[in-house]
Amino acid sequence: MAATIVIVDDEPDLLDLLKLILTEKTDHRILTTSDAHQAIDWCKTYNADVLISDLRMPEMEGIELLKIMHKIDPNLPLILITAYGTIESAVEAMRHKAFDYISKPFKKEQILMTVDKALKWRQAQLKA
Amino acid sequence: MKILDFFRRTKAPGAKAGEDLFKTKYQSFKKLLDANNRALEIMSRLETVSQGDFVFDIQYIRARSDAILDVCQVIIDELNVLGNNRYTALIPIYEDIKARLHQELAGSSPPGGDAWTLPLSRVDRRLLAEVGGKNANLGEIKNRLQLPTPEGFVVTAEAYRQVLAENDLTERLEAFFQEVDPDNLADLTAKSRLLREQILQARIPARLAQEVQQRYEELAQALGRPPRLALRSSGLYEDQEFSFAGQFLTKLNVSLENFFPNYLEVLASQWSPTALVYLAQKGLARRELAMSVGCLAMVAAQASGVLFTEDPAGSHTGVMVVEAAWGLGPTVVEGTLVPDRYLLAKEGEIAILEQHLSPKTFRLAAAPNGEGLATEAVPDSDQVQAALTTEELLVLGRHGRRLEEYFGEPQDIEFAVDAGGQVIILQARPLTVSRPRPEALPPERLAAHPVLIDQGTAACFGVAAGPVFIIERDEDLSRFPEGAVLVARYTSARYGSVIHKAAALVVDIGSATSHLAILAREFKIPALVDTEKATQVLETGLEITVDADRQRVYQGRVAELLGPAAPQKGPLLAETPLYATLRRVLRFITPLHLTDPKLMDFKPESCRTLHDLTRFAHQTGIAEMFELGEQARRQEAYMVRLKTPIPLNLYLIDLGGGLRREVRGQFVSPEDILSVPMRALWRGVSHPEVSWAGPIAIDVKGLYSVVSRSLSAAAPQQGDFWLRTLAIVSKNYLNFSSRLGYHFATIDAYVSEVRNDNYLSFRFKGGAADEYRRGLRVRFLGAILQKLDFDIEIIGDLVVARLGKYPQPLMEDKLDLLGRLMACARQRDMVMGDARIIDWYVQAFLEGNYRFEGEPR
Repeated sequence: MAATIVIVDDEPDLLDLLKLILTEKTDHRILTTSDAHQAIDWCKTYNADVLISDLRMPEMEGIELLKIMHKIDPNLPLILITAYGTIESAVEAMRHKAFDYISKPFKKEQILMTVDKALKWRQAQLKA
Repeated sequence: MKILDFFRRTKAPGAKAGEDLFKTKYQSFKKLLDANNRALEIMSRLETVSQGDFVFDIQYIRARSDAILDVCQVIIDELNVLGNNRYTALIPIYEDIKARLHQELAGSSPPGGDAWTLPLSRVDRRLLAEVGGKNANLGEIKNRLQLPTPEGFVVTAEAYRQVLAENDLTERLEAFFQEVDPDNLADLTAKSRLLREQILQARIPARLAQEVQQRYEELAQALGRPPRLALRSSGLYEDQEFSFAGQFLTKLNVSLENFFPNYLEVLASQWSPTALVYLAQKGLARRELAMSVGCLAMVAAQASGVLFTEDPAGSHTGVMVVEAAWGLGPTVVEGTLVPDRYLLAKEGEIAILEQHLSPKTFRLAAAPNGEGLATEAVPDSDQVQAALTTEELLVLGRHGRRLEEYFGEPQDIEFAVDAGGQVIILQARPLTVSRPRPEALPPERLAAHPVLIDQGTAACFGVAAGPVFIIERDEDLSRFPEGAVLVARYTSARYGSVIHKAAALVVDIGSATSHLAILAREFKIPALVDTEKATQVLETGLEITVDADRQRVYQGRVAELLGPAAPQKGPLLAETPLYATLRRVLRFITPLHLTDPKLMDFKPESCRTLHDLTRFAHQTGIAEMFELGEQARRQEAYMVRLKTPIPLNLYLIDLGGGLRREVRGQFVSPEDILSVPMRALWRGVSHPEVSWAGPIAIDVKGLYSVVSRSLSAAAPQQGDFWLRTLAIVSKNYLNFSSRLGYHFATIDAYVSEVRNDNYLSFRFKGGAADEYRRGLRVRFLGAILQKLDFDIEIIGDLVVARLGKYPQPLMEDKLDLLGRLMACARQRDMVMGDARIIDWYVQAFLEGNYRFEGEPR
C-alpha cells in the first residue's frame, strides 16, 4: 500500500539520498523539505504516515519537532536520524516517544526496514 | 611501574639516559601502531561506505576525513620521535594532502562567496562551488600546473543567482520543477522551451554589466588587443564525477557587444530537455544547476581536438588517444567529421605509435566579419595532411601525462594549436573508460544469425538487443521508445536526452571520443560508432542485437550473446553528488602507491595519499625498532641473563611487562618470561628435538672454507664464538639479536590480541663457509620460510622474511618454528655442499626431523 512519508533535514544531499532510496524501492509518496515548519504542515495536510527527521537542525531540533508532532498526531511514527556519536541524544529522543532512530552512516536496507516497521505500527495503532 | 623498578635495581650509574630512550621510543612505537590501526580502520570503513548502499551526509565525510588526518599526524610525530626527526620530509607532504583534502571539502560547501566575476588567474579548485567544475579545473591547469591555457575571466554562480533573482526567475524555476515530469519528454520539451525563453529575455543587473566590462578591458590590455571570447558553461558538477558531456552550451567568437545575449544563452542551455533528463537520471537536484560561465580569449586555432590519456574504448593499454582536425574544435567533439587519429605511447618517452589520417574536407573558423563560426572548405592538398605535427603531438602527450598525474585519474582533454604551433589546453575532465568483457564466444555458434554490420568502433563495450529506432531529426526524440536501439547518422549530443532509454547506440559517423559516446559509457549503453552504413542497412522497428565487443550488429535477438541479466540502469545511489564527493575525497586517502618496501621509491617523497604515509611510517617504524635493538646491545647496564643450558648467552632487557615482576638479581629463568613473542620463540629454541649442543660434523671442504674465512679480516675471534644474544622484550614485543658462530640473526615481533598490530620480521645473515655454501643455506632458509607463509627477500647471503596481521596463536606458532629453525640452521652451511640436497633438508625440517637424521653424505 502506498503511504505518504515526509522527510525533513537541513542537508539537501541527505534528502536526495533518502528520496532516491525510498522511491526506487517503494511506491510511497515522498515529500522532502529542509524546513521543519513545512514538514509539520505537510504531515497535517497530507495526513502523512511516517515522518523522518534529522535530530539536529538549525531551526528546530528534532526533539522539539517530535513533541509538536506527538501532540498533533500521536499515531504518527517519527524516525530520527542521528549523527555519528550522538547516542545520548538518540536515547533522549526515544524517551520522548520517537518511533526509532538510525545513526549515520547507515545502509539503505536499514531505512527501508525501519520505514516498513513504522508503517505496520501505524496501521496497528489506527485499527486499535 | 615495573620497568622503572627494574632499571633502578640493576642499572649502572649513567644508565638513566638509556632507560629514558628505550621507554620513549617504545612508547612512540606503540602509539604509532595504535594510530596506524585506527587509520586503517577509518580507511576500510570509508571504502565500504563509498561502494554504495549507505546513507550518510557531508558532515560524515568531514568528520571521518578530520579523524584520519589527526591519526596520520600522530603517526608522523611518533615516527619522528622514533627516528630522531629523520622523517620530517613527511610533514610537508602530509600538509599538502591535508590542504588538498580540505579544498575538496570546501568545494562541497554551500556557496558562500559573493564575487560575481573573477579573473582566471585567481581561480582554482577551492572556488569549485562558485566557478563550477570546468573553470576550477582550468584554473588549476593555468595557475598550479602552469600549462598554456587561454587568458580570461569567470562569471560566477553567484552572478547567475543574482540574474535569476532580479528577474523573478527563482520562483518560476521552483514551480517548473514541481510541475514537470522528466519521463514525459514532450511535456518537458514544451515547458523547458518556455523557461528558456524567459531566461533569454532576462535583464542583466547593472553591477554585472559593469564588472564584465571591466574584466574585458583588463583582458584586452593584457593581450594587447580586444579579443573575441569563447563562453563556456561550467556547471557545479560538470566535468567532475558527472561529465554533462555536451549538455551545456559553448558559444564561440563572441564580441563584447553581444556578450550578454550569448551569456544568457549559455545559462538557458542548462534547462534544455537533454540537460534536465541527464540531471534527473543522475539523481541531481535543481540547486546543482547553478551555472558559472568561463569567458576565455578565443584561440585562433589552426588545429584542435581531444586527447584521452587512456583509450576510452578500452581496446589498447598504455596508450593515449588523440583525435584532431583543422580549425576549431566542435567538428571533433560533435563528431561531424572523421578526424585524424593518433595513438601515443604513454609510458617512458612519449612516442607516436600509430597515425590514421582522414580526409578533412572542411573546418570551422571564426566568422570573418561577424559573430559565431563559419564552415570553410579545406583545400584538397591539405585534406589528408596530418592536422598535428610530430612535435605538437609529443608536447600534447607530455601535457596529457602531467594532467593525469595531477588529477590522479585518466583525463579527457580538449586542446587547440595556435598559429605559432603552441598547444593550448582548453579543458580537462575525468575520462570514463569502457573495458571489453573478458569472455569470448566461438564465432561458429553465431553463424546462424545474419550479420547486418561488421565494422565500426566500440565506444562502449557490451551487448544489447532491441528494436531499431532511427533518429532523422530532433523531433523524433520525443517518440523514442524505452529499450530501443538508437540509430543515427551522427553522434549528436542532443541525443543525450534519450540515451538513458536506449538499449544500444549505433551511428554512421562519429568517434568514441564524442560527447554522445561519453554519455553512452556513463550510462553503460553498448555503443558502436563509425559504422558508415547503419542508417542505410537498418530500419526502424527491426529487431537487432548490437555486439559492441566484436563490432557487429546481428539481425534478431542473439540469446547466446545476451546473457541472463540486463545491466542495471537508471539512478544509483553511488552516482549521487554526495557519493561523488566521497570518492573525490578518497582519492587523497585510500590509494596505495608504496606497495613494496624493497623498491627504491619507498621513501617519503613518493607518498601521495594518507595510505602511503601510514604504510611508509609503519614499515619504517619497525626498522627503527631494529635500530633500538642495536643501540641496546651497547647498553649493558640494565640487563638480566637467562639461566639456560642452551649456549645462547642470552641477555634480556624488559621494557615493561616482559618479565615476571618478582625477578631479582642478575639472572632469570625461562619461566620468568611473560613476553608473548619471547615465550613463543623460546618454545621453539628449547624444543626437545632440536639440538644446540656440540659441534656439527662437517665435511673436509666445509672445514677448509671456514679456515680460509677465519683468516680474512671480518671473522670473529675464537673466544667470541658464542657471542651474546640480546632480547629486548615487553608484554607484546620482542627484538631479538643473536650472533651464533659466524651468522647473525634478528627477530623483531609484535604479538597481541589485536591482529592488525601483529608482525614478525626475521633476518639471517652470514655464516662461516664460503659464499657458495652460505648461499645454499640461505636457499634452505628461504625455502622453509616460504613454506611457513613468510614473504621473503634474498640479497646475497642475507635472507629477510616478513609476515603480519595473523591472529595471536598463529603468530606464536610462527615464532616457535623460527626458534627451531635458528637452531637447525646453525652451521648448516658447512654441511651443505651440494645444491641438490637442499630439498632433502627442507623436507626433513618440515617433517620435524630437526636433527637431520639420515642426512645424505
